[in-house]
Amino acid sequence: MSVPLLSLLVFLPLLGAGLLWLLPARAARYLTAVAMLATLAAATAALVAFVPDGPRFQLVERSLWIASLNVHYQLGIDGLAVLFLPATALLFLGTLVAGWNLAHDAPRLHYALLLLLQCATLGIFCALDTVLFFFFWEATLIPLYFLLGRWGAAPGSARAASRYFLVMLAGGVPLLLAFILLAASQTVPTFDLPVLLGVPLPRPTQTAAFLLLLAGFAVKVPLVPLHTWLPQFALAAPGSLTALIVGLKLGAFGLLRFAIPLAPDAALDLHWLLAGLGTVTVIYGAVGILAQTNLRVSLACAGISHVGLVVLGLAAFNAQGALGAVALLLSFSVSTGGAMLLLEFLRQRTGTTDIHGLGGAAKTMPLLASGFLVCGLAGVGMPGTSSFPGEFMLILAVLRSHTGAGMAALFGLAIAAAGFLSLYRKAFFGPATRREVTEAEDLRPREWAVLVILLVLIVGIGIWPGPWLDIVRPAAEAWGAGLAR
Amino acid sequence: MGGFSEIFWHQQAVLPLLALLQLLPLLGAVVVLAFRERSTAIVIGKVVALGELLLCIVVAVRIDPVSPALQLAERVGVLGYHVAVDGFSVVFLLVAALLTFLLTLYGMSRGMISPGRLFAVLLVAEAGLVGMLVTMNVAWFAAFSALELWAVTYLLRRWASSRQETQALARFVQYQAFGWALFVGGCLVLGWNHADATGGQWSFDLFDLAGAPPAGRFQTAAFYLLFYGLAVRTPLFPLHGWLPNMAQHGLIAVAPALMIGVKVGIYGMLRFVLPLTPAAVEYWQPYVVGFAMAGVFFTAALAFLQTNLRRLLAFAVVSHTSLLVIGVFSLHEAGIQGAVLLAANFGLAVTGMWFVVGFVFRRTGTTELDELSGLFERVPFLAVAFLIFGLAIVGMPGTPGFDAAHLILEASIDNFGALSTVASALGNVAAAGFLLWAFQRAFLSPGKPGAHEVDRTLPMEYLVCGIALAAMLTIGFFTEPWLHLTEAASQAMAGRFAK
Repeated sequence: MSVPLLSLLVFLPLLGAGLLWLLPARAARYLTAVAMLATLAAATAALVAFVPDGPRFQLVERSLWIASLNVHYQLGIDGLAVLFLPATALLFLGTLVAGWNLAHDAPRLHYALLLLLQCATLGIFCALDTVLFFFFWEATLIPLYFLLGRWGAAPGSARAASRYFLVMLAGGVPLLLAFILLAASQTVPTFDLPVLLGVPLPRPTQTAAFLLLLAGFAVKVPLVPLHTWLPQFALAAPGSLTALIVGLKLGAFGLLRFAIPLAPDAALDLHWLLAGLGTVTVIYGAVGILAQTNLRVSLACAGISHVGLVVLGLAAFNAQGALGAVALLLSFSVSTGGAMLLLEFLRQRTGTTDIHGLGGAAKTMPLLASGFLVCGLAGVGMPGTSSFPGEFMLILAVLRSHTGAGMAALFGLAIAAAGFLSLYRKAFFGPATRREVTEAEDLRPREWAVLVILLVLIVGIGIWPGPWLDIVRPAAEAWGAGLAR
Repeated sequence: MGGFSEIFWHQQAVLPLLALLQLLPLLGAVVVLAFRERSTAIVIGKVVALGELLLCIVVAVRIDPVSPALQLAERVGVLGYHVAVDGFSVVFLLVAALLTFLLTLYGMSRGMISPGRLFAVLLVAEAGLVGMLVTMNVAWFAAFSALELWAVTYLLRRWASSRQETQALARFVQYQAFGWALFVGGCLVLGWNHADATGGQWSFDLFDLAGAPPAGRFQTAAFYLLFYGLAVRTPLFPLHGWLPNMAQHGLIAVAPALMIGVKVGIYGMLRFVLPLTPAAVEYWQPYVVGFAMAGVFFTAALAFLQTNLRRLLAFAVVSHTSLLVIGVFSLHEAGIQGAVLLAANFGLAVTGMWFVVGFVFRRTGTTELDELSGLFERVPFLAVAFLIFGLAIVGMPGTPGFDAAHLILEASIDNFGALSTVASALGNVAAAGFLLWAFQRAFLSPGKPGAHEVDRTLPMEYLVCGIALAAMLTIGFFTEPWLHLTEAASQAMAGRFAK
């Protein structure tokens, strides 16, 4: 491996963020687009270079970072993570396009922060050293704080920004402690993930580490009852930012990558906790959809419900559950993130995403309405959409491992579908009353492009899921086998 | 002798570097004073501050970080003059010299009255700080401490920024004089004990005293006198009463930076209290740590209540100082190392925040949070700098605070269990809370009428904040050399308490 592909991928956005300051402010968005396209290309290259049946971690780069603490700069990807890279790159590109014509003040700072966020997010997926991971994990907070606090639309945005920052910082405390605990329990303290995965730990250490990791990641996932920041965030943030937060499934990825494999015995012991939290979250999110009048908040609730399902799938502790969970996470990234972007288009036209201010929007905006429907249906796992294969496998696995929880989750899915359709009817059908709705124009070419890419991904993967699942399957099997010892 | 070893200066360097280090600022102060208020005085002041910084870097390069011995040692028979440095002192020295240099730049950019005299006093204070950091003699430490306190008192008297300065000044003098007297009392107990043991030979030298610590109650008395003397200085909850007033009414940035930018209180505990009264330290460790943990939260809560940015920062200082004491009194290698690095980090970060506050004050004439608004639009660089300094205090990855806090947490998991560790780590989150809240109110809130008239960021302001930021982020990403520098000294210190 001569080219450090992953470093290139992770730091391309950062390079872009630096270059922004060399060009005039009006060129900022074009340069950002170039940087994000280059990142997408690098992510695709990483996907192509990845050999599904090869060694577990590939494209590994490793060099010493802090010698006295035995911390390494170590990047690498496995089958569980590799697809998240292009998904992240696409999501950021979509975010950029959705906000293309919004006149941001201080555009260079705005785009630099967006690129910084992308760098940190890609780093989270690639990091194979727990300290490096934590570094990227916390590094997402600063750009998010500014993007929400400085460019937030709603009056409460500065407040929401602080709240998000503090909640996530508090969530970081147990994570850091868990990583220190894991490192200290080795004979030679190490933060190296592959090494940590290879050495079984005594049961009490595992239990402590697992609970700490669960607490830390549950905030980000978010699992009920640690979810309360999300609806507020969704209301206060600009639509494109909400798309990122709901679309990036970092918390669930953390559980998949760190919490369960690092403390397998403890995870197996506490399977009821994981499954219980997952089930409660599924149903809570679904009921939340029913209770909302704002499409944005209801999508945030759908996001909560989704990750609950994924956590339930992880609690099956087998390859099928993990495969389903990864497939679902990816699909939900695309579909929920996409739906959020479409809502942002809607908000730019009508000034609201509350159903009371909409009604009849399908008449003037048929393309937007149908696009939103497809994304929404993917969100409830309709056959033919990208979510179906993952959801099917996941539910099968869960019904076998936790029958009761699986039944409850199915019930939650039904509620979510009903909630979505009811909201959809109120927002898009019926007579149009407000002038903003009757005079709105349908999607412009730029927005068209976003929609087409979304539909191709959702329907394409839905009909032909095989190749994608084949990339993940060996890693999912290894993941399941690691738990079965 | 007392478990200490030393390497003399002629084995390591051509010149007695530590003597130069102490003399340069004093000479500089005399020269600057001689030039009175001519512009040459200002140039000389800056050059001397820069020279001192370079000299500190030379010292840092010269010493051998692998050796646990005290190095570049100089001894003269007269008055028990004995100086030496190890990894700890070098870290503190570098911070002291860097901050003084930045203060000379800052002082210029604020356009203060009689800058010549200001620079002279600044250099005297630096001489005091450097003296405290290199001496191996508790009496010399107390003497240099008095010199520095005098300099700060003079600063407060002459360059106060508000009418209530008399009250702040009185409070400052009362507290500091009391703390200093306690410390001197502790020195006398130790010296007298040495005289008692050796048949009338008084000594205040660390090497002599560490060999035969006082027995029983005398050791407890010495511990308490020294510890509380330094605790006033540090300042440690609940002995912090002088700081908020001084911060609010004194000369912005300069006085607080000299008092709390360089954590000589923490240094004193490491250098003198721990080795000289080991049994008492071990016995009282749980109480000290308990108080410190309470202090983290109590002062964080007080910080939330403040309406003035300067007072708020003062409480932030008290809150994080408690964390340093937890690190020192973990008596654990990682904890001590973490405390030293964290002290340097806090010093840099807090001083950086004071600089920004000073620049804001120059524009708005106020630091009341209610009267500040929308500054982000006009001075984005200062706003971002303020936030990054704040995040360094919170221990964000990428700042030196992260690895240091990480070490302290590691030590306290080992010593005090996971629960209290989680508690003190959450103290950091509380600090993040009030700092963000202050940031939001002062910088992000929508501008009120009149707020848009403030000046844009000036080149000197870019320079001052830029240097501090660059120093901080560089150390944050390349922590290794600093860990290497402090490792042997931490091991040696923790080794004294290994059971």
